[in-house]
Amino acid sequence: MIVVKDLVRQFKSGDRTIKPVNGVSFELDKGSLASIVGKSGSGKSTLLSLLGALDKPTSGDVVVDGVSLAGLPDGKLTEYRRRDIGFVFQQFNLIPNLSAVDNVMLPMEFAGMRKAARLQRARELLEQVQLDPEKHSRRTNRLSGGEQQRVAIARALANEPKLILADEPTGNLDEQTGEHIIELLSSLSRDHDTTILVVTHDRSLAQKTGRCFRLQQGRLTEEVRTGLRR
Amino acid sequence: MSVLARSVGNAFRNKIRTAAVVAVLAVAIGLALAMLVANQAVGAKVQELNASVGTTLTVNPAGGQGFEGGGEPLTTAEAETTASVANVTSVVGTKALRLQTTTTTGSTDAATTQQAGPGGGFGPGGQQATVSTNLTAAVDAGTLGNRNNASGTTTLPARTLPITATGIGAEVDSTGKALEITSGTGLGDYTSSEAKALVGTSLAEKNGLTVGSTFTIQDKTFTITGIFDAGTAFGNNAVYVTLPEAQTLAETPDELSTMIVTVNSLENVDSTKTAVQDALGTDKADVTQGQRNLETAVSSLDSVKNISMIAFIAALATAGIIIMLIMVMLVRERRREIGVLKAIGARNRTIGLQFVLESLVLVALGSVVGAVIASLASGGIASALISSNTTTTAATTTQRGGGLAGAMPNGTVPGGGMPGGGMGGGQGGPFGGASQLLTSVTASVSPGVLAAGITAVFAVAIIGALVPALLTARIRPIEVLRGE
Repeated sequence: MIVVKDLVRQFKSGDRTIKPVNGVSFELDKGSLASIVGKSGSGKSTLLSLLGALDKPTSGDVVVDGVSLAGLPDGKLTEYRRRDIGFVFQQFNLIPNLSAVDNVMLPMEFAGMRKAARLQRARELLEQVQLDPEKHSRRTNRLSGGEQQRVAIARALANEPKLILADEPTGNLDEQTGEHIIELLSSLSRDHDTTILVVTHDRSLAQKTGRCFRLQQGRLTEEVRTGLRR
Repeated sequence: MSVLARSVGNAFRNKIRTAAVVAVLAVAIGLALAMLVANQAVGAKVQELNASVGTTLTVNPAGGQGFEGGGEPLTTAEAETTASVANVTSVVGTKALRLQTTTTTGSTDAATTQQAGPGGGFGPGGQQATVSTNLTAAVDAGTLGNRNNASGTTTLPARTLPITATGIGAEVDSTGKALEITSGTGLGDYTSSEAKALVGTSLAEKNGLTVGSTFTIQDKTFTITGIFDAGTAFGNNAVYVTLPEAQTLAETPDELSTMIVTVNSLENVDSTKTAVQDALGTDKADVTQGQRNLETAVSSLDSVKNISMIAFIAALATAGIIIMLIMVMLVRERRREIGVLKAIGARNRTIGLQFVLESLVLVALGSVVGAVIASLASGGIASALISSNTTTTAATTTQRGGGLAGAMPNGTVPGGGMPGGGMGGGQGGPFGGASQLLTSVTASVSPGVLAAGITAVFAVAIIGALVPALLTARIRPIEVLRGE
């Protein structure tokens, strides 16, 4: 279970204080698929960074399965990202000179898994995200956008994280590929019992998630409960 | 894929750039290795020169150096005075004898006689005692020997050359160099009067002597304990006995022909020479320094050594800076990738290690090519360095060496005319050979030097790569991923 308590992140910009995240609180059950929508600059990505421990909040806390992130040292936050978080980025952010399978193996290598075990798991994950086996050993810069995003999702699942944070996962994909990706995330959430939080400005995409939050001027409101998923 | 495999892969990510980086590194590393090789070669040559010439001074009686002379002989008390001078590590006294073959002297009185050294023939005038022996000289008189024996227009009957005998206080020859004993052993205690002798190879061969054989001097039987090789026909026509024994044979128990003074370092030779001269008095002894020109030559070589060491360090630093700049560039170029790696759980040290290993892959490639460059260029670089630093010295040395030889009667310095102990072993040899010694530095890439050089290169590369590796720790993933 993910609990976000009165999360605030503020920046100084000259004389002004900007609060892209201003007192955000919500809870997500394990295995849920949720989305956050909002305009550009509304603080969606900042909120995601706080949840993924890429950034530290000015105040407030994120509690994952009872463990508070507030006050954790950098080393512990790195461990948290490695063990409990999976990231899916709009730009995919794969290592271009590595193959698909090598990219998926990276988080497992950082977690200290043995080579044979991580190779087997990487291939299984790539099969789950329906990447053509012929392309498993292909460098990711030679894959299409949709294929790269599938590899990125497989990489996010590598260490069986509790929470997958997807930042505009379909932003660089055509509509059909984007729908496939959302279906994939939805099925993975269900199959792996993994909590997935998708940040998007695509309202139609958000409609396909179980819960949808709207972020406006740093404040979060739950806009719609579609009832499609928990 | 391990960190190492990923580092190797990253090193070849951009092949053209990698080739360019390796080429630049190879030049720097090659230059560093070539300079190290030159440094080692010159260092070895300096050691060789110091070892060959030694840090020795030769002390002769005042006015007794050369072919004419007089004055008072040196004494053991003066040897003790010399030994007490600062920076003197040892003083070896010698006593020169002239052995005349009994059969050629015929009915000549075999008793010891003090004779002035014949002009052109012997060392310090009045110093050499002529004593009889049953040995036959290994050198035939020939034209030179008979000319020296001539008296005006009257040609005397063919004669046999005398044999040089020297009493020594340590296992060194009359110039202070260690004796090269090819068979048998030394004389043991050089401070005691024992009927033991060392003979030169040609003298032993001429007289059919081996270790354990005996011969006589002044009717006293001497046992040969060893046979030495002096490297020259003249030097091998010689006998060495202990100093007290030679003094007894000459019936001058307190006298020395020369003293070989060893100084603790080349730098102290000049000052010690002055100190010894002051201690003994200019009216008592002449102190000569055989290696003055070679000291200048060694000084030039030391300059080359210093220059090559500075160039080695500079080239090494250049390689380190190249690595640092390249890796800083790569870190800046891959900020996003580093941010992603951190976002998916990579530790700072894992990423830092990856960049250090990547730099070492580049250095390894540069070292291989650099070693080839060094093996091809080190000889030329060393020669160029030496020739540019020693041309003047070598020219001066050659000129002075030749001049000294020319000053001798008939130019026969190394020939059979002058027994050891008379002139400090004939100084024209080392003087004349200085230029050859300088230009004969052989710079070859030995595995040891190569290993040392490459170890230094890798150490510098690691230091150079640590800076960008530490930079990666400062990259915050949120900053590089904010563009998402």
